[in-house]
Amino acid sequence: MIIFFIVALILAALSAGSAASNYHENLLLQPLPPSSLLASFNFKSNTTQTSFEQQHFRYFPRALGQILQHANTRELHLRFTTGRWDSESWGSRPWDGAKEGGTGVELWAWIEATDDETAFSKWITLTQSLSGLFCASLNFIDSTRTTRPVASFEPTGDHIASGNLHLLHGTLPGEVVCTENLTPFLKLLPCKGKAGVASLLDGHKLFDAAWQSMAIDVRPVCPSEGECLVQVDQTVDIVMDIERSKRPRGNPIPRPVPNDKLDCDTSKPYHARDTCYPLEKTAGKSWSISELFGRTISGSCPLADGQGETVCLRTSPLQEVRPSPDSVEASVSDQFTRCYTLPSSESFDLDVPEQVSAATDNDVPLEEPVLHAERTIVGHGQERGGMRIIFNNPSTEKTVDFIYFETLPWFLRPYIHTLQATITGRDGVRQQVPASEFIKETYYRPGIDRERGTQLELALSVPPASTVTLTYDFEKAILRYTEYPPDANRGFNVAPAVIKIAAAKPIYIRTTSLLLQLPTPDFSMPYNVIILTSTVIALAFGSIFNLLVRRFVTTEEAAALQAQTLKGRLGGKIVALRDRIRGKSAKVE
Amino acid sequence: MSAKQEDLGSSQPDMTSKTSASTLPPPEKPNAIQTRFKVVAAFWAVILFLGFPIWWKTTSIYRAELPIQEMLDWAGGKSCRPVFPLEIRIDTPSLPDVEAQQLLRLTQHTLDDLNEFSAHHLRLKLANEEAQQTAVRADTALTVRLQAQDDLPSLRSELHAETTMLDIFYSPSQIPPPSSSNSPLASFIAAELQRLFAEEKAIMAHILSSNAVGNSAPSSNSQAQQISPQLAESITKRLRRSMKYAETYHLAFSLFTPGSAPSSWDIESAVQEYISPVIQELSPISNFTVDTQVQLYASFSPTTPAPEFDETYGVWTLKEENLSAFINAAEWPLNPSIGSGPTINFILYVPAPSQSPLVVKESKATSWIIPQWGGVFILNPPLPTTEDSDKSNLLHLPRDALRAPFLTFSHQLLSLLGTPSTPSSLPFRLQTLIRIRAATLLLSASSTTGSLARLTESLPSIPIPATVASSVATTLSHLSFACENLRNGQFQAALASARVAETEAERSFFEKSMVGQMYFPDEHKVAVYLPLLGPIGVPLILGLLKEVKRVVAGWKARRQGSAS
Repeated sequence: MIIFFIVALILAALSAGSAASNYHENLLLQPLPPSSLLASFNFKSNTTQTSFEQQHFRYFPRALGQILQHANTRELHLRFTTGRWDSESWGSRPWDGAKEGGTGVELWAWIEATDDETAFSKWITLTQSLSGLFCASLNFIDSTRTTRPVASFEPTGDHIASGNLHLLHGTLPGEVVCTENLTPFLKLLPCKGKAGVASLLDGHKLFDAAWQSMAIDVRPVCPSEGECLVQVDQTVDIVMDIERSKRPRGNPIPRPVPNDKLDCDTSKPYHARDTCYPLEKTAGKSWSISELFGRTISGSCPLADGQGETVCLRTSPLQEVRPSPDSVEASVSDQFTRCYTLPSSESFDLDVPEQVSAATDNDVPLEEPVLHAERTIVGHGQERGGMRIIFNNPSTEKTVDFIYFETLPWFLRPYIHTLQATITGRDGVRQQVPASEFIKETYYRPGIDRERGTQLELALSVPPASTVTLTYDFEKAILRYTEYPPDANRGFNVAPAVIKIAAAKPIYIRTTSLLLQLPTPDFSMPYNVIILTSTVIALAFGSIFNLLVRRFVTTEEAAALQAQTLKGRLGGKIVALRDRIRGKSAKVE
Repeated sequence: MSAKQEDLGSSQPDMTSKTSASTLPPPEKPNAIQTRFKVVAAFWAVILFLGFPIWWKTTSIYRAELPIQEMLDWAGGKSCRPVFPLEIRIDTPSLPDVEAQQLLRLTQHTLDDLNEFSAHHLRLKLANEEAQQTAVRADTALTVRLQAQDDLPSLRSELHAETTMLDIFYSPSQIPPPSSSNSPLASFIAAELQRLFAEEKAIMAHILSSNAVGNSAPSSNSQAQQISPQLAESITKRLRRSMKYAETYHLAFSLFTPGSAPSSWDIESAVQEYISPVIQELSPISNFTVDTQVQLYASFSPTTPAPEFDETYGVWTLKEENLSAFINAAEWPLNPSIGSGPTINFILYVPAPSQSPLVVKESKATSWIIPQWGGVFILNPPLPTTEDSDKSNLLHLPRDALRAPFLTFSHQLLSLLGTPSTPSSLPFRLQTLIRIRAATLLLSASSTTGSLARLTESLPSIPIPATVASSVATTLSHLSFACENLRNGQFQAALASARVAETEAERSFFEKSMVGQMYFPDEHKVAVYLPLLGPIGVPLILGLLKEVKRVVAGWKARRQGSAS
């Protein structure tokens, strides 16, 4: 995505130019086919390394800064993601996938420590503190969910070469990202979502989107001259469905379009007053910021510098756009991009009316993703299953080289020897080939029950115009009674796989997260077990004890003995009484 | 049909009983009876000597031995009566030894007469007596320097602001003659000392009397009566708002403003100039970390009543009763700092230009202390008087503007830490603070220990790990060190010991494995034990009863047989 590259360049130039602390914010809007809109918010603030260490916080959030210092964290990446990026219709990902995470929460950090154990204890400190700060269950990232990726991630900041940095990575695929995570996210911003583009961020709209990703990246940046900076980069990317977002808040239930407002294909022979073939809209739908977000941008954040491109719209140059009168349009070299400077105190709105001309030549070209990846669980039954990963290289001439990284929970035990590959060309012919033909390198760290998960990193290459499918089998472990969550029958989340495509700036793709069905017992089990074993023991014990203690007599003798005892005599009388009553009633019958 | 069957069934026992009445089994052989007895005895032996001990061992919880009585004694104040013998050195450069001795004796006598609080007393020492001191050397609380000055109309005293030194100026004629039993100079010195230590004494009396320990000191009651009610109230108030003692305090200075300006301040130099010296002075007592932040767009919480405009003064006012809601805890990022130790927050609030100047309605004050939390200062900077009606705050707060707030903050910090308000000398007040802290820590560690003792006694089902026992031992030994140090007048050392005692006491009281005690409700136990013990226990007990009955019957028969 060129625009992200441009923005990044501008930001790099800005941060290099002014070594002191500063703040920058930016919003990019881009309509996506068929009727969606990508809104990409970016907030960047810097602080100098000295004031960071002395804990004088101005733009940098104090809460986050203290956590990082306390946990010796040099670089931090935190992602909250929901939904799925539909690369078939939306093209390649914003920021080349560098600012998104797998479904749920993903966290990775470079921690400075002398050895692995210290690094891990610092990591636990970090997850616990972040958990409190972001109201997320990050504290559940324990040793079973923590991995140390070897080749999948590289630090993006400028670190001291000799530093003992440890990369730790953890995911929570089952975490539901919601408003309670957005509120602390907004609190970290200098303008608190009360001014500037952040004023658009509202939990109702954000988490109603088809796909959203919130990212926080903290890294040290050392410009060629001047002091080193600590940079916090907050990003929110959302893909909104225009139709859905335009629903009024007071009346959100979709209703059928009235007959006279339907767009019908009148060329159809059966078209009549009561029959209609709906016309697929080729032209972009009309929208405006206030319609989509339910509010307008309330002025610019006065702290932000780098005026000129605060709100950018990327659309066809022929598209008519009506910004608020107070704003100033800034020129950008790219023909598709139009940027506006926000007025300092008045609210800003952007109205994009429906495009009348149907010419699509001038539309923003969608970039084809370099690779499509899909990962599913196959197989049936409670004991075994299989994993299938499909890589599709759409390019006709270029081979794609990438690192495939997955962490499997310990209760999923893969059999790596069953790893098999098939290749399908564009002609549809499937061929079984040895996996080693695509896998150039393997890093495999088997899991240990209840201690750590399996870590698998593969360096793969997929030839052009072909689809490679990897499969392997796995076994499902049986958990202990207390290890099941309350909703055990829902299944267990398996974290998404991360794919890093080697390039000058690596491109990241994440697969969807998976649900694994484990054999689930009936949870009244412990009492059943107690009662069953007790009964068996009691039976065995009772018969042996009686055999040893009782005296053996013949039936007649037993009856005679019984008759002698008080109980026997009483019993005999009762029986006699009953017989008399019974006898009477029988006679009556 | 059914009746017929029943008839058949029921008639059978009758028949058999009739027929078998004549065929009783032969009496059991004694051999068989003995075997049965042995079998029952063997089962019960296994249960009593193997099963029961195993059950007992596996279900009992480990409870380390605690010196309960000793712990309760500490909490009840029976083990230690804190005393504060303050050593005051008298420096008499211009007096001959004999006269100095005489003056010392007289002054000490007067002091002892004046003092009614026996736990806290002043001991005078001549400065040149230093060499004769024994190994145990007390801390010097105050040095009194007598300076002769001619043509002085009356006695005069002067307390140094930077040191713990009191200068007394006198004219040489006022030296008491060796024979006299009273002298104006001696009474003057005594009165001066009494005045200097009055507040400390009152605080000590309050601390000791509010704790169980104080009850054992009979004089504290009379002392408490002697304190004026206003002083007592102010001491109570100050003690209530002071922070709990901690080894490390985090100081967080925050600039809050409802708009977008000011967005920066000269915080480094302000901290350097106004806060660092205080922290430096306080370093023997606690460690401090400092962090600062700027928070814009900080609005009041919607439930807080908005400031009102006071027309007579032309100011915006906040009502005193609403000050507690001034901090918008839900939205203002005032999370406590990470790491052990409490955070003290200092908030510099710059009101919006439209609400400036903002003051407290009743007192017209602009700063206040939030007890055990921090301080607030409302800074009303001069608005730039531009020709526009659109007023706006300064973008940057210069160092001069921060002078007043940061002096207030340093003052608030001292009172939040519990420093007494008099006298003026800061080192002197900090010395007092050390003694107050030592006393409070000693008492709180003692009472924590006592609570632990009572807790373990009242909850017999909680486990007591060995670490708790060792913590308790450390606490008790450091408590007695602290007590010993207090008695010798070594307050720094007493504070150090009391700190250790307090941490250890807290650690043992909040031991995790003890707090989360194993809780098995009785129904749970029944559900686990009954399915097994019921079916096994019934035959066992019946077998035992039968045997006992047989043995008793046999014994009775034998006795009857022997009697007849």
